[in-house]
Amino acid sequence: MKKNLSIVIGSGSILCAASLGLMKALKRENIQPDLLVGCSGGSLYAAALALGYDPNTIHEMTVDMYKNDIVEGYTSNLRAAMSGETRFNESSGLVDDKILMERLQSIFDEKTFADTTIPLYIVATDFYSGEEVVLSSGRIVDAARASSAIPMIFPPWTINGRLLVDGAVCNPLPVDVAIKEGGDVIIAIGFELPIRRRMNSYTAVTTHFNSLYMNNILKSTFAFYNAVHHAEIIPVLPKFEKQIGGFDHHQLPYIIDQGEKAAEEQLPYLKKLLEN
Amino acid sequence: MEISITKGTVDIISVNGSVDALTSPELVKVLNDHIHNGHPNIVVDFEKVEFMSSAGLRAILASVKEARTAGGDFRLAAPQPSIEKVLKMAGFHNIVKIYPTVSEAIASFG
Amino acid sequence: MAKKPRVALIVGSGSVKCAAALGLWKALDRAGIPIDMLVGCSGGSLYTSTMALGFSLDECISYTKALWNEKVTAEKNWKALLGMVFPKLFKFDHHFGMISDRQMMKNLRQVFGNKTFQDAKIPLTIMTTDFYTGEQVPLTSGSIVDAIRASIAIPFIWGAHQVGDRFLIDGAASDPMPVDIAIKEGAEVILAMGFQAPLPSKVRSVSRYAFHVNGIMTNNLYQSNFAFHNAVHHAEIIPIFPQFDRSIRLFDTDQIPYVIEQGEKAAEEQMPYIQKLLNS
Repeated sequence: MKKNLSIVIGSGSILCAASLGLMKALKRENIQPDLLVGCSGGSLYAAALALGYDPNTIHEMTVDMYKNDIVEGYTSNLRAAMSGETRFNESSGLVDDKILMERLQSIFDEKTFADTTIPLYIVATDFYSGEEVVLSSGRIVDAARASSAIPMIFPPWTINGRLLVDGAVCNPLPVDVAIKEGGDVIIAIGFELPIRRRMNSYTAVTTHFNSLYMNNILKSTFAFYNAVHHAEIIPVLPKFEKQIGGFDHHQLPYIIDQGEKAAEEQLPYLKKLLEN
Repeated sequence: MEISITKGTVDIISVNGSVDALTSPELVKVLNDHIHNGHPNIVVDFEKVEFMSSAGLRAILASVKEARTAGGDFRLAAPQPSIEKVLKMAGFHNIVKIYPTVSEAIASFG
Repeated sequence: MAKKPRVALIVGSGSVKCAAALGLWKALDRAGIPIDMLVGCSGGSLYTSTMALGFSLDECISYTKALWNEKVTAEKNWKALLGMVFPKLFKFDHHFGMISDRQMMKNLRQVFGNKTFQDAKIPLTIMTTDFYTGEQVPLTSGSIVDAIRASIAIPFIWGAHQVGDRFLIDGAASDPMPVDIAIKEGAEVILAMGFQAPLPSKVRSVSRYAFHVNGIMTNNLYQSNFAFHNAVHHAEIIPIFPQFDRSIRLFDTDQIPYVIEQGEKAAEEQMPYIQKLLNS
């Protein structure tokens, strides 16, 4: 019985580019995934791979996406919102999402899930209930926009009447989707949020708490999926020895390299599993 | 707890009563025997299940894995609202396909 | 622990709703079922401590009222608030909390004095989270006041609390319903009582938004941990979910008698099964 292969790319912003290194390693061995799942930053890569984009195009996409003009105005808007100068409600964000949308549109245009050559699932979170929402139809640009809607920073995104935010808030590495859709061997490439010891602002403390919660959700969901899956989940955990800023796209070659290295460590076992 | 089996394109295993630490071993035996006798695709009808405990869930999970290892799948149908709550809390909805009716569950096997 | 605990009771987050654990205790007592281990987290740390120390039910009720009221959050932490506006002048670190803990500490000392875990008649564990690493840190020794103060340190409200050389915050940040210790000790029956964070219906400000997101993540953490423990536990975990026909807000201590009643009712519903399990 042929075992099928799923790849789950979790949240991690620019670190998700490490999945390109994973794909490089798999391509060399002629291993193709049968299913792709993406969350948050990972949704961009899962979608690009599902649409059959070549690695160079995806590399360009990353360079273009992660420029800090995408969060322009954050500090001044935060101050204004906190002082009550401007209104802030559930549909608000501290950053204008025009640039983000432009970039997503230039990558995915009007493509839909139906245009993918590999089945694709993108995970977001229902803002009101906190539940996981799995997207598998409609425009890719909408799903990616919803999945990447970092709370407070980008405004939430509405799809089919549901207000959606970042998938990482409920499930940073959604292996469950692959399990539910019948995945046998599941490669999960995920990233823990970095924790810093020095905090020198309210925002830094907020970010810190968010990171603590998110990392704990990542660990407990992963433990659960491991306990309930019938076959094998292979974690690919790239190691980053240096600090990488959210917009350090000059570090991309390093990030991709580390992804490739981490994938290569798992290759012997992966090949054995798929051959059986 | 009572179990009845309806044969068809996909077999339906209907459970009546309580699925808990004391009753689940029997249920698991029936499910696994079925799976290993050439029926790796099963629909388990939960309409008449009134109580489901943690141990019961864990046992069901073992059968889910058996079905998948055998190349099939275990899908759940028609849980009552109180059972639905338990299934949600235990993360079952995330990892197992659950349908409001038996016919939808059977149709899902395509 | 000398012998395997048969019945463990875990009380997780939920502030005043956690008083329902006292109702559960009443029901178990009536059925002649002793509790062999207690684990408290966040609001639950308060009730498990009073139960472990052997206070009577009436004492538990009056202590809660004395301890938990709006006065504990009245005094703002001006240094922290100023720090938000002038971050370079005021330190931001584990101490950050918008409310002063002076009144809370005073109340805790009034109720628990110098009692330590050694004074507990039933083995007690209070769960906290390491502020810097996010790891779960179980407390089983030292001052009860310090342990509770750490466990209820809701992010942003109260700053972290130093215990030994660690800075600790709300146990709910790592696991809102920590059944793992009971699993590790091999408890046969684990009774778990904990409440999901109510999510604000209207978001009208940045801080409300932040609370809402924090609430979502706490609930997701609760569920994912619960799902995991359910899947890997060897015996039986029985969640006790009291029903409330009205909203019970953060400081509604006058509702405690009602909350206890509902806790008792929820426990009674599970009693036949619990008894069957323990007798089998």
